[in-house]
Amino acid sequence: MKKKSENARLHWRKLDNSAKIFPISTGKKYSTVFRLSAVLKEKVEPKVLEEAVKQALEKYPFFKVRMKSGFFWYYLEENQKSPKIEEEEDYPCQYIDSRRNHNYLFKVTYFESKVNIDIFHSLTDGNSGTTFFKEIIYTYLELMHPEVLDDEERKIRKLECDYDIEDSYMKNYDKKAKSNASGKKAYVLRGTKIPLGAISAIHEIIDLEDLKKESKKQGATITQYLTAVLMYSIYQENYVKAKGKRPIKICIPVNLKKYFTSKTLSNFFSYITVEAQMKKDKLDTFEKMLDFVKKDFRQKLTEEEIVKTMSTNVKIGNNPLIRPIPLFIKKAIVRLSYIEIRKYTTITFSNIGRIGIIGKYKDYIDYFLMLIAPEPVEKVKCSSCTFENKMVFTFTSILQDNRIEKRFYEFLKEKGMKIEIESNGVLDDISRENKSQKE
Amino acid sequence: MIYPEKIKAKKSDKIIKILMSSSFVIVFVLWLINKLTTPTMPWAALANAGIVYTWVVVIYSVKKNINIAGHVLLQTIAISILMFYIDYMLGMKGWAINIAIPIIIMVANLTMLVLTIVSYKKYMKYAIYQLIIVLFSMLPVIFVTEHMVQDKTLSIIAIGISVLNFIICLILSAKDVKETIIRKFHF
Repeated sequence: MKKKSENARLHWRKLDNSAKIFPISTGKKYSTVFRLSAVLKEKVEPKVLEEAVKQALEKYPFFKVRMKSGFFWYYLEENQKSPKIEEEEDYPCQYIDSRRNHNYLFKVTYFESKVNIDIFHSLTDGNSGTTFFKEIIYTYLELMHPEVLDDEERKIRKLECDYDIEDSYMKNYDKKAKSNASGKKAYVLRGTKIPLGAISAIHEIIDLEDLKKESKKQGATITQYLTAVLMYSIYQENYVKAKGKRPIKICIPVNLKKYFTSKTLSNFFSYITVEAQMKKDKLDTFEKMLDFVKKDFRQKLTEEEIVKTMSTNVKIGNNPLIRPIPLFIKKAIVRLSYIEIRKYTTITFSNIGRIGIIGKYKDYIDYFLMLIAPEPVEKVKCSSCTFENKMVFTFTSILQDNRIEKRFYEFLKEKGMKIEIESNGVLDDISRENKSQKE
Repeated sequence: MIYPEKIKAKKSDKIIKILMSSSFVIVFVLWLINKLTTPTMPWAALANAGIVYTWVVVIYSVKKNINIAGHVLLQTIAISILMFYIDYMLGMKGWAINIAIPIIIMVANLTMLVLTIVSYKKYMKYAIYQLIIVLFSMLPVIFVTEHMVQDKTLSIIAIGISVLNFIICLILSAKDVKETIIRKFHF
């Protein structure tokens, strides 16, 4: 019998509809990488972490892939190497250079008591990324504390591993749906960039109970409330000063698994865009902005509207005129037009919600972080996640001016919320101020 | 503290940028000296072509994952272009298409043949490069049919070796070639 070659045995799969655009547009300045971090209550053991990642990959071979280029599209192929685990020494959400990472599309790093995973968006979205990251953390803790985390809990958890790799976009999109998205360009945040490609990360750790109470008082969900605070901070600290005219557009990614039955680990998200014409809609106070955000969410966060946005995007990737264009031409076109495309969003705010950890595992974790890579046009990006009573709202920015972050912090503080600041020190005056207040 | 205090600067990219800027300066200086001293003899163009060739090879080696077949393909095309350019700059005597390019094609095909026989399990990795090399190897067919070469011997030998290489590779790894084509050309 004729032997098959090594590579012929390697599994491969097409990129999902949303993932197709990322490798075409990505580069050092547009990394399209997001990071999840777990701050543990004990120092990280690198060797154990390495073993945990290996075991998690065995359970989720979906992530054990590398990217290869075809003639028309990129595709994913099984990766036979082991991933590298390194100490954190770079800014968060940096472009993942596959040559330095054994070709993996994610990178696991650690620092003191923190474990990070940076994931290239072509591989998966925040929701499935969290599933994989949780598996790493669970396995790490099991290896570190086998005596405490007994078999019973592990058995329960192992049943949770039920997923597939289908392209849920193709299964669920509506061929006839048309998006009502506005074609207006957005207000782009102004300011001087931080030199040498540095990225500032500022985490505002908010007491969840306080936040819930306040947003409930205002008749809003947490995401609506924080979106309004963000809009208010941008308006006060950037928009007014720069005499902005274009609408402030906040892009909110939406997890489509809440709307459709899907077990996929591939990307399956869409977004809504809150579009506020500040002068036309007379939005000059926080209360007006919150009312506007609530109304806009009600209109846009419906299955019908989400299907329209999703379907429009699927149709672009599926267009019979676009598909046969050679990859190198697609790349040139997308890269030339990408800066223009990005001008339709002022800022992105992604809330991945509660990160649920079972049983005794919780005792070893302080909180989780989520970060998204800022870009030359969308210079500031926001993300949040919740663990137990801590909601961490993160600003990642390439702007020297951190007044938006400051205003956001002060606003929540004025409302009586308990809030702490952590940062990577690139723009650390908020932290310093916070520390001096504590003292 | 949840972040390291010092973030490591990326030196390798900077070194490449500095070297590339230096190359641009050298290219300009050579061109200027050539223009001012011996304008009838285009030696700077030849030297500068060498610099461009070096950078093509360096950038490819740095950027791409190491795949030996990819290097064979790059060298085949880059050296062929360089030879043709030198011939053209020296008055188009025809040695590039009569001798140099057919020999380069022969060496490339023999290299690929050896690679395939020695490590045919990895053939799928090489398949797409192999196909492009075979396509490139059809250049001597044009040289012969269009009567561009005075001596057809080397061109015909090159065509023969290319066809033989292609057939042997197909026999050894036809299924892998098919699989590669499905992967690489899915749309």
